[in-house]
Amino acid sequence: MEPTLLKARGLEGSRTLASYLSRGGYEGLRRALALGPQEVTKSVIDSELRGRGGAGFPTGRKWTFVPKDHPGPRYLVCNADESEPGTFKDREIIEHDPHLVIEGIAIASFAIGAHTAYIYIRGEFVRWANLLEQALGEARREKILGADVLGSGYSLDIWVHRGAGAYICGEETSLLESLEGKRGFPRLKPPFPAVVGAFGKPTVVNNVETLACLPSILTRGPAWFASIGRPRNTGPKLFSVSGHVVRPGVYELPLGVTFREIIFEHCGGIRAGRKLKAFFPGGSSAPVLTAAEVDTKADFDACAEAGTMLGSGGVIVLDETVDMVEAAANLAHFYAHESCGQCTPCREGSDWLVDILHRILAGHGRAEDPDTILRICRFASQGMTICPLGDAFSLPISSIVSKFRDEFERRIAAATPAPPRKHPVLPWAGPRPGFGR
Amino acid sequence: MPKLTIDGREVEVAQGTNLIEAARLAGIAIPYFCYHPYLSVVGQCRICLVEIEGQPRLAIACATPAADGMVVRSQTSSRVREAREAVMEFLLANHPLDCPVCDQAGECLLQDHSMDEQGGQFSTHMVETRRTFPGLERRLLGPHVVQNQNRCIHCSRCIRFTQEISETSQLTYVSRGNHAYIDTFDGRPFDDPFSACAADVCPVGALTLREFRFRKRAWKLRSTPSICPGCSIGCNLWIDHHERIVYRFTPRENPKINATWLCDYGRFLAESLNAHGPAPTFRDEDGSSSSPPLEETVRALALELKAARTLRVVASANLSNEELFLAREIFAGYLHGELVTPVWPGEPRRMKNGHGVWLASSDAHPNANGARRLGLDIVDESGLARFLYGAADLTVLLDPLAHPYLAGEEALQLLRVGHTLVFSQRQHAVCEFARWTMGVASLACNEGTFTSGADQVQRFQAAFAPPRGALPLWQWFTLLARELGLARLAVATPRDVFQLMVSQERSFAGLAWEELGGFDTDSYREHQHVG
Amino acid sequence: MSTAPIHAANPEELREVRFDAAMESQIAELLTHYPIPRAALLPVLWLCQKRYGWIAPGVMEAVAARLGLSPAYVQGVVTFYTMFHTTPPARFVLQVCTTLSCAVCGAGELLAHLRKRLGIGPGERTPDGTFQIVGVQCLGACGSAPVVQVNDDYYENLDPAKLDALLDELAAAKE
Ligand SMILES: Cc1cc2nc3c(=O)[nH]c(=O)nc-3n(C[C@H](O)[C@H](O)[C@H](O)COP(=O)(O)O)c2cc1C
Ligand code: SF4
Ligand code: FES
Ligand code: FES
Repeated sequence: MEPTLLKARGLEGSRTLASYLSRGGYEGLRRALALGPQEVTKSVIDSELRGRGGAGFPTGRKWTFVPKDHPGPRYLVCNADESEPGTFKDREIIEHDPHLVIEGIAIASFAIGAHTAYIYIRGEFVRWANLLEQALGEARREKILGADVLGSGYSLDIWVHRGAGAYICGEETSLLESLEGKRGFPRLKPPFPAVVGAFGKPTVVNNVETLACLPSILTRGPAWFASIGRPRNTGPKLFSVSGHVVRPGVYELPLGVTFREIIFEHCGGIRAGRKLKAFFPGGSSAPVLTAAEVDTKADFDACAEAGTMLGSGGVIVLDETVDMVEAAANLAHFYAHESCGQCTPCREGSDWLVDILHRILAGHGRAEDPDTILRICRFASQGMTICPLGDAFSLPISSIVSKFRDEFERRIAAATPAPPRKHPVLPWAGPRPGFGR
Repeated sequence: MPKLTIDGREVEVAQGTNLIEAARLAGIAIPYFCYHPYLSVVGQCRICLVEIEGQPRLAIACATPAADGMVVRSQTSSRVREAREAVMEFLLANHPLDCPVCDQAGECLLQDHSMDEQGGQFSTHMVETRRTFPGLERRLLGPHVVQNQNRCIHCSRCIRFTQEISETSQLTYVSRGNHAYIDTFDGRPFDDPFSACAADVCPVGALTLREFRFRKRAWKLRSTPSICPGCSIGCNLWIDHHERIVYRFTPRENPKINATWLCDYGRFLAESLNAHGPAPTFRDEDGSSSSPPLEETVRALALELKAARTLRVVASANLSNEELFLAREIFAGYLHGELVTPVWPGEPRRMKNGHGVWLASSDAHPNANGARRLGLDIVDESGLARFLYGAADLTVLLDPLAHPYLAGEEALQLLRVGHTLVFSQRQHAVCEFARWTMGVASLACNEGTFTSGADQVQRFQAAFAPPRGALPLWQWFTLLARELGLARLAVATPRDVFQLMVSQERSFAGLAWEELGGFDTDSYREHQHVG
Repeated sequence: MSTAPIHAANPEELREVRFDAAMESQIAELLTHYPIPRAALLPVLWLCQKRYGWIAPGVMEAVAARLGLSPAYVQGVVTFYTMFHTTPPARFVLQVCTTLSCAVCGAGELLAHLRKRLGIGPGERTPDGTFQIVGVQCLGACGSAPVVQVNDDYYENLDPAKLDALLDELAAAKE
């Protein structure tokens, strides 16, 4: 497939406005401005584009939730928080083609009638925030942004807002809180951001990759986009593949390729001739799939049918050497570290899981531990929490316990400390600076 | 007005009422920790989960507005019971479960709900080492509030209180997740003028009050509705007492005045209610003193009063409406004395009502407006000085604490000139030379009404009977009235006095004693369950 | 281009902070991005961290005063996020990703190597204040695991040998 989102990768000077324009850049925005907001939204609905940030919500439909007659400002927020373990695709787009993101933001902003847009980028991405700033500077100078976008009379400002180290700020309402200068505590829904969002105004939050799809939907037409993949699962998708594959990296592939193709063809299979054991199909928050499930199609509906989710398309590949108890402990630690701490089941449950898993690793497992883990996961998910972070650790960890229960039971039965490894596979992150007293 | 069914009971509620309040109206208690009727809704604790017909997931009652036709299940749903049990287990996972040594025991929402949702097991499957906060187990956060972070259930009520109500934003979470803890900026003292409310809103024993800790087990306390004597705002409060000792004030809900708050100044006046006047003392010209029995005292007082050719009386805006009325009728009306009521602005106090409006004090007294309503002669400091400067052969002080001027050298000198009779709740410089000192019981033993700054007549009740020798002032007055032959005023209770006022005073016409409580109206809510 | 060291102002200097004209004008510019001043909190904190190296209590107070917030509120926000230093950082903060993809691709080896070479582990710093190790969560670069972020810069596809070269370069450039 000819790349759309990663077209610029490998081109000399691809980040510059000149390069972007030479590739037909900002043509989509020009068309959008000519079509008018309604038509733009209709095109996006027709393209069947679904959000690339994790939830896979139809993008055009989300835009229609913005109240039409709402007085006062409304906002578009580009979610460049990219913190889901195993996900590094948005960074790739920004690295090679920041103007693609800016054009996407401009199209979406125009469609929903926003005159201010923010790019919320994770704090660690200093380089990529700077790349965006540079590109925005160019666009402002060339009157692509500002009071009179491409001479259309439509005005748009885009500001980069850096996070400061918090996975939870990728969750859209937490992101909005953070944007407003608060602790990143997710909000209760309803109301949804499209109705009450940033600064209390209607706000659409879209992922970088979602927005990067827009220019080509406008230039090539929604039918072209919808022709890729299958109904309800259309368009090109970036897959971030990491872990034990020969060629990890970001791959642009049509939705609906199988994970077998991704792992064994595009990424060259498993390193050192080892065997595939398991993989997370859509970031670490997606339930794990085993080697036996590698023929699952990589799209939203197929993953849902397989009891998991496409999520952000971050494929984490684990080979046969990986101890799944350790993997579970590593992830539990991640989520406990990143839980905002607002709601009881997530705050207490994530920490509790870490304790149990570390105790099992230390050789003090108890027969009831797997069931306790499953019970914690059951009651920290499915609407028991404010935001989906509860699900984000409950689903993968319970899937690991369910699918690899024998590994847990072996560890527990052995009940001695695991043989020391040369290097611990799962390093302990240690205390955070400024965390605690 | 949506009509809905909760656990099979139908109830109609006002638009916008959440399910916790709707259930309360239906007589069903839905448990909650983070919800507080006067704070923003954050939905953090998750204990209030309920099942709503037609919705696949459980919903939190605190953040769900009642809707017409809604069918809600709380206790009657096994899913709900299971979920709440799990939430309790999570909450107790890191809770020290140190109830036997915790001063909150008995008024702890965690304890209460553990009884309800876990059948009193107080347990969790957790076998790991509990997370603790070394150094934060017993820390004085400010002048009044003691913190034990290990017990905190992260409901954020205290933080929201300082952000939304007292507006100092002095409290915050530091750090995040399970390791977050409550702190002030850079460990500075938590000196918010409403700091003790943070301990009130804390549903567990994480924040307790230095002044109250370990003085009395909560379940021993009895609560009597009263009014704060601290200023003219007239905050509603409970006197919490046991065996005739007052241990604390806690806020009593009144949306129009103090919602569920008290300022630290007013709250810590509670101690002062344990002073009940000196025993009746007669001091002869030669300086010798004696304590005659009550009847004799009253008889002698009446004689002195009748004998006086010029009588002047200093009333007090700290007295109840009933006491002021009796004073006016007896001293000014019958005895033709001259009567003034000194009023002093004092330190400015403020209070935020349940609608988010700040109320400001105008006077340092609970009943200056009562004195105004009764048409009494109000004087400020210079007026009082002028009054005392004029000659009289008998001066009656109804309350030496009526004005700080009365404790000053000048006033004492002026008062030494003639004879002085003083009714006093506490020892006072005047008592040292007064001809008669009559012991007055404190507000804790008194019953009556005050008229608030917003001109609301509010009733307070007596917590317990006064100790021997001290009487509430109204009782001194009715005894005197009988002795003076004023049968009309020689009534048996403050309520009777009030009825007289209703029939006789235009400004009190139409008021009904029973309706002045605030404590037996709809807004009544046991303070434990709001705080 | 090598990573620039952090120059952390000493705590004495930050006891009371007054923003100079340059800072003030940058803050004023940031405020134009948002409808409410509070929203500029994170960007202003970033500005301060760049300027002073870390966010001392005095800095929080100054920021609070500038944006009309309470100092406790600012402290609450600062400590929610992991990237603001509330103590003076070393010149080079080695942020070693320890999440799954990096963990299975050798992050543990890197930490073990750092322990051997620098004698410190996560949460510790070298006595000379040159290096500080922080174990961090997924840096969003898992395809080139293991990853270490040094101050603002990413170093990817590391192994002990490359790490050694990097440390040499940093140690040499520190003056
Ligand atoms: C815990 C959590 C973390 C998330 N992190 C991200 C993220 O880093 N980037 C992102 O784009 N979306 C993230 N999301 C999804 C967002 O909430 C939101 O659905 C998305 O930004 C919407 O954009 P889309 O419709 O274009 O996908 C996260 C969601 C959750 C629950
Ligand atoms: S689920 Fe976790 S991260 Fe989400 S709001 Fe609750 S505590 Fe915070
Ligand atoms: S009371 Fe509803 S979530 Fe806490
Ligand atoms: S796991 Fe290390 S960068 Fe993602």
